[in-house]
Amino acid sequence: MSEQVSRRDFLKLAGLGAATTAVLTGCGPASRYVTREPYQQMPEYNSVGQSTYYATTCRECAAACGLVVRTYQGRAIKVEGNANHPLNLGKTCARGQATLHGLYNPDRVTDPIKKSRGDSAGEIVDWNAAIQAVADALKNNQPDEIAFLLGTSSDHLFDLVTDLANSTGINAPIRFGAMSMFESRATLSKAAENLFGQTGLPWFDVGNADVVFSFGANFLETWLSPLSYTRGFAQMRKATETKLRGRFVQFEARMSATGGKADEWVSLRPGTEALVALAIGRLVAEIRGGSVPRIFSSVEPADAAEQAGVKLEALEHLAEMFANSKAVAIPGGPALGQSNGLAVAEAVLALNALVNNFGKSGGVYLSALAPNQTEYNRPASSQEMQALVEKMKSGAIKVLFVHGVNPVFEIPNSLGFKDALSNVGQVISFATFPDETALEADYVLPDHHGLEGWGYQRVTTGTDLPVLSGAQPVVTPYYNTRSTADVLIAAAQLAGGSFASALPFADEVEFLEKKVSALMSESNGSFSALDSTAFMATFQQFGGWWKNVDSKVTPNAGSVLNKNVKAEVAEFAGEGEFFFVPFMSPTLGEAGANKPWLQELPDPTTTVMWTTWVEINPETAHELHLENDEVVRVISEAGEIEVPVYLYPAIRPDTIAIPFGQGHTAYGRYAENRGANPADLLGKHFNEAGDLAFAGMKVRIEKTGKTKPVSRLESRMGVYGEELGEEH
Amino acid sequence: MLKKIFDWLMQPLGLIAVGIVFLSVFSVAVYGLSATQQTPEQPIQFPHKTHIGFGIQCLYCHPGAAKGPAAGIPSQAKCWACHNQIEKTQTSVLLAPLKEAVLSGNSIQWVPVAIVPDFVQFNHRPHIAAGKNCEDCHGDMSQVNIAENPQVLNMGFCLNCHIETAGEDEEKLIKLTDCGTCHY
Amino acid sequence: MTTLSDLKISEVKLEGEHVGKWGMVIDQDICTGCQACVAACSMENNIPFVGEEDSGYGRAMHWIRIERFWEGEYPEVKMTNQQPMMCQQCGSAPCEPVCPAFATVHSQAEQLNLQVYNRCVGTRYCANNCPYQVRTFNWRDYQRPEPLPNQFNPDVTVRRRGVMEKCTFCIQRIHKAQDKAKSEGREVADGEFTTACAQACPSNAITFGRIDKEDTLVYQMMHHGQSHGKKHLEELGTLPSITYMNGGGA
Repeated sequence: MSEQVSRRDFLKLAGLGAATTAVLTGCGPASRYVTREPYQQMPEYNSVGQSTYYATTCRECAAACGLVVRTYQGRAIKVEGNANHPLNLGKTCARGQATLHGLYNPDRVTDPIKKSRGDSAGEIVDWNAAIQAVADALKNNQPDEIAFLLGTSSDHLFDLVTDLANSTGINAPIRFGAMSMFESRATLSKAAENLFGQTGLPWFDVGNADVVFSFGANFLETWLSPLSYTRGFAQMRKATETKLRGRFVQFEARMSATGGKADEWVSLRPGTEALVALAIGRLVAEIRGGSVPRIFSSVEPADAAEQAGVKLEALEHLAEMFANSKAVAIPGGPALGQSNGLAVAEAVLALNALVNNFGKSGGVYLSALAPNQTEYNRPASSQEMQALVEKMKSGAIKVLFVHGVNPVFEIPNSLGFKDALSNVGQVISFATFPDETALEADYVLPDHHGLEGWGYQRVTTGTDLPVLSGAQPVVTPYYNTRSTADVLIAAAQLAGGSFASALPFADEVEFLEKKVSALMSESNGSFSALDSTAFMATFQQFGGWWKNVDSKVTPNAGSVLNKNVKAEVAEFAGEGEFFFVPFMSPTLGEAGANKPWLQELPDPTTTVMWTTWVEINPETAHELHLENDEVVRVISEAGEIEVPVYLYPAIRPDTIAIPFGQGHTAYGRYAENRGANPADLLGKHFNEAGDLAFAGMKVRIEKTGKTKPVSRLESRMGVYGEELGEEH
Repeated sequence: MLKKIFDWLMQPLGLIAVGIVFLSVFSVAVYGLSATQQTPEQPIQFPHKTHIGFGIQCLYCHPGAAKGPAAGIPSQAKCWACHNQIEKTQTSVLLAPLKEAVLSGNSIQWVPVAIVPDFVQFNHRPHIAAGKNCEDCHGDMSQVNIAENPQVLNMGFCLNCHIETAGEDEEKLIKLTDCGTCHY
Repeated sequence: MTTLSDLKISEVKLEGEHVGKWGMVIDQDICTGCQACVAACSMENNIPFVGEEDSGYGRAMHWIRIERFWEGEYPEVKMTNQQPMMCQQCGSAPCEPVCPAFATVHSQAEQLNLQVYNRCVGTRYCANNCPYQVRTFNWRDYQRPEPLPNQFNPDVTVRRRGVMEKCTFCIQRIHKAQDKAKSEGREVADGEFTTACAQACPSNAITFGRIDKEDTLVYQMMHHGQSHGKKHLEELGTLPSITYMNGGGA
């Protein structure tokens, strides 16, 4: 052999063999036998290998931030903020980023299905049959037997259903979501109405304030408009040549991610927020001189300090800080979700009257109304939701349409939504994902994902300008889904009569064009156009239309200080040794549990991933002989759940806290059978404004003897003195 | 111990065993290599030669090369723009798949031949801008019918050209031989 | 205190000689720990999620993480300012000399620490030697069921099992911006592009840009503010490219 093949040739051949082996192990041919599918007809604004960017609106919460989505060869690959959008100025939150994991979620509802309740699978029907079913449901029932339960986005669908309701007499649509429940929007706007005599959603100009007092408001996490409040916070905190670094004080029983950024964190006893706010008010009034206004006169600071478990000197020091600077006070979060939540909101808003910051830079405003809005229209309070549940229970509702919300999961069990469903003849869900409510529905007629659909969303707070944020499909629908607005329009046409005349449109886009082009005649718009087609196109291109006029409303401060606020401690329901603080998970939000990357984001305070935990003060845990990861049963008057313990150093010893967002029994592989739902512990108690008193429960805990290792990013070493190398 | 093995291998039986092992590895390697040498089966027997012969520029069908990373495969609408005016398109057996794809709206599943592995980030644009011609890497397509793998797209080929291009320019050499220029 | 020059280690470059090219300034005082950067980074860079169990073992593959520490005990407990931690793109990186496969190399052109995936054989020496603990290892071929892969960024390699990876300062964006600028016959302008984390950051706590040019925002923040900020573990002689600030004074 060696005679015929020279050494040189042999080396060549050996090299060839080596190269081939290398090639075979993954340097080439494995990816060689792929196929490439060119466009059948490439859109003219597209170019091979170049990304195309589309402006749209984020639908992960109701805030309506503008997005620009990078698409490549017809696929959405990255969400970026719309730099021109007045609300978020190019920024996005984690939930907005992860919206692609919703779009390309492996567990979406792929086809319209007809099914029996409790089954996840069913018979696939074609869209004509589905639309016929919706038309029959509309036509064969009395109008007042038909109800719509919608989520907090998108507003165009809410407007469409409202139009339908107005002209046909069906029940006005109810908008609800766990997020709006934890935000206590109704309490905030009711307090504003009581104090100022005006309706609207208060807006706090954190960015231009020097001192910010927040009573429970988690405005850096999920509250109202987290991105714009975060921007304000950064502006407040930054020292510039003309201003000092702003200071931030947070009052709450459990340190939230927002509270973690506070310069001073005041851990008060839950339920005493109103007392403390009034006491600070009285001290501030005394520092500023003159008589103490009526609203603060009923409280004794020393008494309030004792009730709240804080030192009087601390309150005096805080009052000093508040009185002598450009200060603003914000009520929110768990402080409002208590039996006296309305009093808390009023007391805290009244603090602002003392420093006279209404309508001033760094002070309190009422948010600008969106362009196509004439008065502030908030999502339903829990009590209004409860009214619908009662109606369902009594059998007065024969058909329930559900879109954009997952009430079986999001509404506390004690309100009885799931039980009431069994008295509703027909439940039609428009869920994009197979959630718990879709499981209990007769039809699931999947809507597109937010990135595949048209629409608009009103910006209700967070910017000076009236903004209508526009949404457009950034990719063609991946599955056999159909826009709910299109389904309703088609069904209304089929149903005929007043239904047909209520929605005289060919499709959703025509409806949007009618609504949006009404803004053409407005002056000072962000753009103008000569005809409605051009106007619509530009509306989609810029991701919305806004009026370049500062439209914040100055609250009428006249008689605020002469009002009465009940200086009481909140009432707590149930028998237990612990106050219970449920809070919205900052990373998951109300509907993020099915997005794997949101699951794997560490919680900002505990760094826990993928599960639910209960936060207990290390001292308390020590007394109860509880360790990290030990599973306890948390029991309230409404129910019980089992969760692993997390020793949390920044919570009162008499308080425990559990995040909301996990505990799904359906909703896809990443959400199912993971963690627990603290809403199961919430009783049916409302505050005076109708919001759920979710932070007004007392609970007790029992050991279960089980342990559940909790995944967390932080090292266990050094924090609580655990041994090096201890693994689970 | 080692010596024992070596001694055993040096006896005739051992040599035969070594030979068999070597031959089997070698033949698998040669087969693997030859497999990568085969021009893959394409959905349409596309003759580059004919199209270039008509004077059609490469960039007419692959315009992406001048603009960005991917040269791109033309959309069937682009094929059809010419072909629906050519009578032969209606009758030719070879062109039947194109006609079928256009009329039915199905995509043509082309098999790319000149591709780099996933961990190489290649961008056509700077290469065209630097004055490289398509045939420098892809071979002379006016001589081939169905696109063939030019078999030069390995790292040594890239680096040789990069070093040549940089010449005496130190800064350019650093940039063009940086791992991060292609691998990230 | 021992200073760098006392060490007399020839490989250690001294601050004076090293400028770097790309750098960041992170203001910890306004970072709220919201995790938007972590999500944005994962989406941009095709980072796999590892699931509950593996993340419990510390195998989560975040290229950027937010560290938070506690100070004091209840009720005087304080959460220290959040600290976004990612590859510091050291000028004299401890990860580089220990790689037997030359997969962890220094980019002379961009002054970044590169990870060349096709060279990496998974010894994990680099991760062991990284004082910032910012390198993550692909312990498995993590599953991303269809249609999730539709979201992949085509500009970034999808890594497989046995490969080390880490923050690249979004080198794909650097290249894209440079390519665009070159095609238009100009230099890359400051602020023309930024990394995915800085782009998403709701409080604008992260600023990215050239640290070797005086007219950039990053340079201004590093050299003309009230504080020059600090670089983490600078005493190890790593010459990091990221400057951490704690508001105006720290």
